[in-house]
Amino acid sequence: MLLSLLTSLWLWASPAPADTISDYYTIETIPTPPGLTAETGALTFLPDGRLAVCFHRGEVMLYNPQTKVWKLFAEGLHDPLGIMAISNRELLVMQRPELTRLTDTNGDGVADTYETVADQFGMSGNYHEFAFGPVRDSKGNLYISLNTASNGAGVRDELRGRYDSLGRPGRMYACVPYRGWVMQITPDGKVKPYASGFRSPNGLGFDAQGRLLVTDNQGDWLGTSKLYQVEEGKFYGHPTSLVWRPSFPQIDPLTLSPQTLDSMRTVESIAFPHEIMAHSPTQMVVDNSKGKFGPFAGQTFVGEMDFPHLLRILPDVVDGQMQGSCVPFFAKGGSNGTPLRIGNNRLAFAPDGSLWLGQTDHGWLGDRGIQRIRYTGGTPLDILAMTLTPTGFDLTFTQPIDESTARQLANYQVRSYYYEYHRAYGSPQKDVQIVPVSTVQLSSDRRTVSLTLAQLQPKRIYELHLGKLTGNSGQKKLMNHIVCYTLNRLRTQVAGRAAN
Amino acid sequence: MGKLLLLLSAVLLHISAWAQGDTTITITTSGGLQFDQKRLIVRPNTRLHLIFQNKDDMAHNLVVTRPNARLRVVEFALALGEKGPALHHVPVMSDVLAHTVSVEPGNTDSLTVKVTDGAYPFVCTYPGHGAVMYGVVYATDEPEKLPPPSEDRNLPNPDRVAEAGMQHHHTNASGHPYSLTLPAVYRTFMPDCGPAAIAVGLPGSDGGQSYVFDAGSCRLRYAWSGGFVDNSEQWDGKGQRFTKVVGDIYYRDTDGFPWRVGNQAPVVQFKGYRLIDRYPEFRYLVNGVEVHELIRPRVGGRGLVRTFTIAPTKQPLTFRATVQTGIQYKPSVGRLQNNQIRLPAGTRQFSLTLSTP
Repeated sequence: MLLSLLTSLWLWASPAPADTISDYYTIETIPTPPGLTAETGALTFLPDGRLAVCFHRGEVMLYNPQTKVWKLFAEGLHDPLGIMAISNRELLVMQRPELTRLTDTNGDGVADTYETVADQFGMSGNYHEFAFGPVRDSKGNLYISLNTASNGAGVRDELRGRYDSLGRPGRMYACVPYRGWVMQITPDGKVKPYASGFRSPNGLGFDAQGRLLVTDNQGDWLGTSKLYQVEEGKFYGHPTSLVWRPSFPQIDPLTLSPQTLDSMRTVESIAFPHEIMAHSPTQMVVDNSKGKFGPFAGQTFVGEMDFPHLLRILPDVVDGQMQGSCVPFFAKGGSNGTPLRIGNNRLAFAPDGSLWLGQTDHGWLGDRGIQRIRYTGGTPLDILAMTLTPTGFDLTFTQPIDESTARQLANYQVRSYYYEYHRAYGSPQKDVQIVPVSTVQLSSDRRTVSLTLAQLQPKRIYELHLGKLTGNSGQKKLMNHIVCYTLNRLRTQVAGRAAN
Repeated sequence: MGKLLLLLSAVLLHISAWAQGDTTITITTSGGLQFDQKRLIVRPNTRLHLIFQNKDDMAHNLVVTRPNARLRVVEFALALGEKGPALHHVPVMSDVLAHTVSVEPGNTDSLTVKVTDGAYPFVCTYPGHGAVMYGVVYATDEPEKLPPPSEDRNLPNPDRVAEAGMQHHHTNASGHPYSLTLPAVYRTFMPDCGPAAIAVGLPGSDGGQSYVFDAGSCRLRYAWSGGFVDNSEQWDGKGQRFTKVVGDIYYRDTDGFPWRVGNQAPVVQFKGYRLIDRYPEFRYLVNGVEVHELIRPRVGGRGLVRTFTIAPTKQPLTFRATVQTGIQYKPSVGRLQNNQIRLPAGTRQFSLTLSTP
């Protein structure tokens, strides 16, 4: 009672706003047609500004944001989970059995050809064999990803593709070709296995630097969810897909020791610590709005199924290798009684710079429908970049930090730990250490804080908790207080630092 | 069979376990963040041993709370924040009567709880799960006085239960934001077909006719009359279960892939389909020769007319059609001999009428 009285007195005395993310962004829910089960599998924008959306029951619908009218474009697809607009009349859609080109050839607004672009991969009939993508690189190659099967269910008597019993053991398995792979489809239509070692790669995307990024989900062999930079020929750690590597011996990959598998794999660039950042990361999307979506232009956003927040990733490059950090976005955000929902499976930026979210549960945790986040102006105080130095980290903010708060060592608490690479499902945080911050420096423009840590070790995650940092003489409050940096490699010299 | 029983037990949501004294009950998970049993009924003063088998793809726990304390426990569990995992997402509070540890997929844990008299909620307190994944243990001598499951406020939202129980209430009977117009195409999981199945419903009297085309092996698999499909189980949850045939199957292909180009073993590649007045015309390559196949209902009775358009080839083409009881074949060119039809050289279009007497 007394506290609330004091609080209200303080509010009365000082009209400073609470300063939350909702002061800079609003969210609204997009009405979907009656009778639609809005388990959103994919969404994108057509060149003419209409939204194209795939839903679980096989519908592809177009929404005109001006007229707010929905129209059916295609139907009868099998659990479509990816979409790419080629033109106002042509879409690529990834459904369970194949990548399909939907074309409205006669201009009546409805697709009349459903052309198979790529189906050169196996299906065991197991529900977990989802198919994701496509995304396209600058040379016109397409990339899709193929989920492994789950031992939550078996396989059918009749399969598509060759059965390999060596890929059948394990919690998540790949007994038919290229399960657990990212595939490349060349402009002339060749389908090539591109990279292996994925479990549940529900997000593919190219970042603004042209790197192919893929998210994967915590589970067996993934101590926590993560993001990989994917390059041709590499193996990313989930073993079962190795049976489809041409040079791989005729053995069950699970008979290899974790140490052997560890030596074969390429580790994640950025880990999403479980419970803190993500349970199930989804699609990536680059803020291509040139500032229309606020201060994060060019950065990569990542969706998340279980938490009412999105993530931003902050890549850093050390010795030519990407690593870096993640930070929540729009945590606790919401406006006019509409909170950000969960189940944010798909993301797309509209031509006006607003971010559209396709939501689903798909038998797991999640909401259904479509929401839209719009930037309303101003600059939230948030972390813009985090880079490793030989002795600690440089944190760059969206605006100058009040010196009095920036210089307090107590405002920087660091934990470090790692997640075990093993067959078991997930991993606890291992060898948790409190890492003292020994010094803090503030740049002359007060935007960058340089921290010196008592110790830096590779192959660990550094979880930085930021205290009450403020800007603009206390008017601006820090939006996010946790940022997690995945330190794969130490930076040995300052000269090695590269711009991102 | 075991799987079928399991499936059946998972969908019979409202079966109430009846027990007294020392009682052991096993609860597992069903798809979509649900316990497979949501309503347990035991005698008062039962010492209940609950075994929780996690058959889901994600970790869960099972927490038994004091009567009317489920929401409070869920709130406190959520407030654990990052401390949650170490505590198995179970808050330390007197409202928690018993709980399992975090049970990873495939694992089992159990708890024992004494229930005197009343409604004891059980719930998964993982963040977000508590709002939907729960049930109730009734300790009562008068089970007849309990509300029917559909009106039981101690069970998850009736709509959700109804959906899990496959009693769908949609604006449209189709399950879509529009009425289904035949012909209609569903790519889905069908029984007795490869996993890349295409179900096609055709217009007609008495529920019309339907067939399944296998996009993996590029061939018609079977046809039925009297209806199209029921997608409710396939659409529910994660999509493991089959779309069901509605009607009576009158034809099954027993020959494997029908086409032979020359003497080659057939190698096929599916190329998709084009909709012609909503009828799909499938396209596939057979040893490099492109074939289009359009299937329409036979006029004047049960049966199908399969029309093939064949790209030019110098190779001889043969179509296999084994004589089946109750099925008549009528080719437009050539004739059926030794269970196959040799097409005259240069044939570009060919139709085969398949009918039942």
